[in-house]
Amino acid sequence: MSPFQEFLGAREIWQVPLAASAIAGALLGFLGVYVVLRRTVFVSAALTQLSTLGLVATLLVEERVHIGSEHAYEQLAVAMAFSVVGALVLGAFRARRLPAEASVGAAWVIASALVVLGTSRLVHAAHDLGGMVFGNAVAVSAGELATIAIVAALCTAVHAAFAKELAFSSFDPETARALGMPVRLWDAALFLTIGLAIPAAARALGALPVFAFLTLPAAAALLLRVGFSRAFALAGAFGVLAAGAGYVLSWLWELPTGPTMVAVAALLALPGAVLRGLRG
Amino acid sequence: MSALIALEKAAVGYGGRALLKDVDLSVAPGDFLAVVGPNGGGKTTALLTLLGALPLVGGRLVRPRPVRVGYVPQRDHVDAVWPFTAGEVALMGRVPGIGPWRRPGAVDREKVREALARVGIEALAGRAYGELSGGQRQRTLIARALAAEPELLVLDEPTNGMDPAAELATMDLLRALHGGGKLAIVMVSHRLENVANYARTLAFVDKDKGLFRVGALDEMLRPEALGALYGRAVAVRQENGRRLVYPTSAAEGNGGEGRA
Repeated sequence: MSPFQEFLGAREIWQVPLAASAIAGALLGFLGVYVVLRRTVFVSAALTQLSTLGLVATLLVEERVHIGSEHAYEQLAVAMAFSVVGALVLGAFRARRLPAEASVGAAWVIASALVVLGTSRLVHAAHDLGGMVFGNAVAVSAGELATIAIVAALCTAVHAAFAKELAFSSFDPETARALGMPVRLWDAALFLTIGLAIPAAARALGALPVFAFLTLPAAAALLLRVGFSRAFALAGAFGVLAAGAGYVLSWLWELPTGPTMVAVAALLALPGAVLRGLRG
Repeated sequence: MSALIALEKAAVGYGGRALLKDVDLSVAPGDFLAVVGPNGGGKTTALLTLLGALPLVGGRLVRPRPVRVGYVPQRDHVDAVWPFTAGEVALMGRVPGIGPWRRPGAVDREKVREALARVGIEALAGRAYGELSGGQRQRTLIARALAAEPELLVLDEPTNGMDPAAELATMDLLRALHGGGKLAIVMVSHRLENVANYARTLAFVDKDKGLFRVGALDEMLRPEALGALYGRAVAVRQENGRRLVYPTSAAEGNGGEGRA
């Protein structure tokens, strides 16, 4: 039996994780268009670390008060709270007295240090944390798939309902403000969706692929110069393709899943980069 | 004629700190007001406060009725990396009027087409904004402001970074849009000569000198007013029907209609 036939035969194992990865890839690819165009790529890196910090904090509390059983939803809820608050502070309500890079960099490095410190104090859950942080797509549960699907539906609804307000406020906030639009409210709505998507997707994909999927599929789509609206569709499709193909290839070639997904996403950006180079 | 919008005894600035105090500024229907002063002198701050986009530090902002405003930011404040077409950028002018939940309709697209035609770039509607020249981008931003069917058109340094020909073309376009008073225009410029042949009213602004003075064009081109703004001799000369405004050294003679 060939490796591919073996893969097809193991459908019950991979169908839930693959579906979760595909939905997460589509969602992050779509949101990544705003992340890239607003030049907030490193905000997403900081949010991923803040989300991990929320997870570590929950695990620490669970161990300290001797909660024996797994509390996946509580962990996800705290990770989401950290990420959403971070998204609002770093994205929508950023203090203007500091350059954006300073506050984003500070958030990233402080969250990273606290994750390391927190992990060093974990006794039992430390070995589980690797999968949670770096992704363990094989172990995604049906409940986690449902969570990702709900978050994706919510984010899609917000972006469908307020597409023109989010686009205008992001593209030219000065004019939008001058015309009386509540720019901070729209910024908050945008970063709320990003802040929710990151921890939900990180449960399935891990931190590295989440950061990559918020950058590479959108960059790949934008390099092809397909226009604003089509860039969202294309970036979402690239996200699905990178997640799906990365998952399958990692299974067939026995590679780590997250990095394989990132490699496929990087490959998808190549045609656009070559095309852009040829056009000059 | 009652004002469209006015500042009364206003203190304008950021973060509760006043850059300019006792600002009285009124814009009536059909006005063509140019706000002139050095870079970093507080012009844009005064403008955004007038529009209500910045909170007042003190005083009053008066709007007797809702006013449809079109706003044109400085061209380099708009990020050309976004993959919008000129038509899509112009369509954004309709967004505040459409409101949330709804999509732009046929009427909105027709208004955008008309606005692009008014500024002479209808043929560029499908072109990427980032691929347009500086002058074409400026016209796109003006079209976006016109798409809102404004009573008041507000522009921040609309000719910044343009070559003289494009600068003249942009100013001539603004005169045509003003139409002798059909549309009120307020524009900010750091170059007095740029606006001296177009505006009806001038406001001189310089926060470092605590200067805010408003008056009719001829009154403001007198030596005393020009001296307050520039702090040195400035000559105003008529040549081929156009006003030329330029600083002079003490050694030069007064060859024009006014010199400070």
